[in-house]
Amino acid sequence: MLPAGAFLTVFIGWPLVQFVVDGFYKIAPIAGGSREFVGFGNYVRLFQDADFLNASWRTLLYAVIVVTLEFVLGLAVALIFSALGNASRVFRTVFLYPLMIAPIVAGLLWRFLLIDNFGIVNELLTRVGIMHSSSDVQWLSNPNIALFSVAIPDIWLTTSFITLVLFAGLQNIPGDVIEAARIDGARYPTILFRILLPLLRPVIAVALIVRGIDAARAFDVILIQTNGGPQSSTETLSLLIYRTMVRFGDPGLASAMGTVYLVVMLAVALVAILSIWRPGSEEKP
Amino acid sequence: MNGLEVRKLSSKTILWILLAAVVLLYGFPFLYMLLTSFKSPLETIAVPPKVLPSQWTVANYVAALSKGGVVASFVNSVVTASLSTLFSLALGLPAAYAVVRYKTRTGRFFIVAALVTRMVPPIVVGVPMLSIFRNLGLSDTSIALAIAHTTISLPLSIWLMSSFFEAVPSDLEEAAKIDGCSRLGALWRVVIPVASGGVAVTAIFAFLASWNEFLFALLLTAVRAQTTPVVIANFQTQFGLDWGSMTALAVVYSVPVILLTLLLQRRIVAGLTLGAVKG
Repeated sequence: MLPAGAFLTVFIGWPLVQFVVDGFYKIAPIAGGSREFVGFGNYVRLFQDADFLNASWRTLLYAVIVVTLEFVLGLAVALIFSALGNASRVFRTVFLYPLMIAPIVAGLLWRFLLIDNFGIVNELLTRVGIMHSSSDVQWLSNPNIALFSVAIPDIWLTTSFITLVLFAGLQNIPGDVIEAARIDGARYPTILFRILLPLLRPVIAVALIVRGIDAARAFDVILIQTNGGPQSSTETLSLLIYRTMVRFGDPGLASAMGTVYLVVMLAVALVAILSIWRPGSEEKP
Repeated sequence: MNGLEVRKLSSKTILWILLAAVVLLYGFPFLYMLLTSFKSPLETIAVPPKVLPSQWTVANYVAALSKGGVVASFVNSVVTASLSTLFSLALGLPAAYAVVRYKTRTGRFFIVAALVTRMVPPIVVGVPMLSIFRNLGLSDTSIALAIAHTTISLPLSIWLMSSFFEAVPSDLEEAAKIDGCSRLGALWRVVIPVASGGVAVTAIFAFLASWNEFLFALLLTAVRAQTTPVVIANFQTQFGLDWGSMTALAVVYSVPVILLTLLLQRRIVAGLTLGAVKG
């Protein structure tokens, strides 16, 4: 335990401290440049900064889009799998593979699929008759829908995770509970909303929290698809911090942004972990 | 056939059709990329696009692999991921064991802390790490990147391994100790072999975490230690939007992990669902 603790302290704890401290300085972007203590100056700038506020809002929206769609789709597929039982095994394997693909590859792949003119998605939609021409919807270059479009690969990548977790949860529900309800005359929607979902609640909570936090940290998928554009419509906090730090050369401000971001994430994570997981406590089987 | 049976049959059919649609939706994107990578570079961006290549060729692969730094980046990816897996296991196994066997308050706190570190956005630690590695004289090396990746995989490894260790009866260890093993000896000779399936799962996850990681790789490497995800991302700026080579490279990078998934499917499923369902 000690070596691992030491390792995490040195390589996560220390950089974190340094990062938080940086947030109180105005730092020149050149190596070995000047540092000037500005107290909460960066934070004051931050909360007047429209870019930061917009990016925060977008990050939240992105996470909500990703998690909601993933959950609905993931639950539906998990229910289908469990209704079909063992016969669906091969399909379960196929469904699993996106989980292993690098986000950067997934982003690239979907950018290729969604591109107008020679992208296959628009071509297929045109052929089916939903669209008039293959440049009707500009998934990644229309600022109004781009945030939704960049979320697609993320959803595609990790719906399998939600499905797997929910499917495993469904397997743990004893069949006689459902049977009893059926004998009592309950229809499927009633069984789903009154029995299955309440019993799955802890599993659902864990899946949603894990994915929500991952989605709020998304970087690669968005960077490779739009790099934050068009007109910053897909610039989430990770991207904004990266840009502020590396491109605009303002590590102080970026650190302040990151600190706010970090504190919010940790608060959410801590509340979630303490209220649901209770690792190591007696309740664990 | 009475009415009830007909209804049951048709609802099964509907489910199968739905499932087929979902699987198609999930399988098609990668399949399409795979097919595209065998088209000629010109056909890759033809309007309108075709699903099947009119002439199968490996021109895209040749073009992708002959670009500077591509092959080297593969070697870097393998080296980094292997090192990171090694670090993660070397640190994670004893830690998980300690958490499970000595059920102390600190142990519990430690596992929560380890999990919380998983929630830290990588962008936040990435830049300070850069200066740490510079001070250590490790900038732009695979070791530095492997250490950075270990910060991601270690918390997960501890979490996974402690679940697996919990399943090992402590009587086994006691027996080993009576036979003259030290505590570490018992861990090494008895507990780890018994939980070897779990160790394998943990290793796979640590490897994948490093293999697929992008942000640390982007921040911490320049030329020498660059991994393939960074090269893929740089493709668009360096060589223009060369879709043919990009799809080929993406396929080459993904096929090993997809094969791994298919081969070790059961273990991976076990690892993924373990933490979530048990809690």
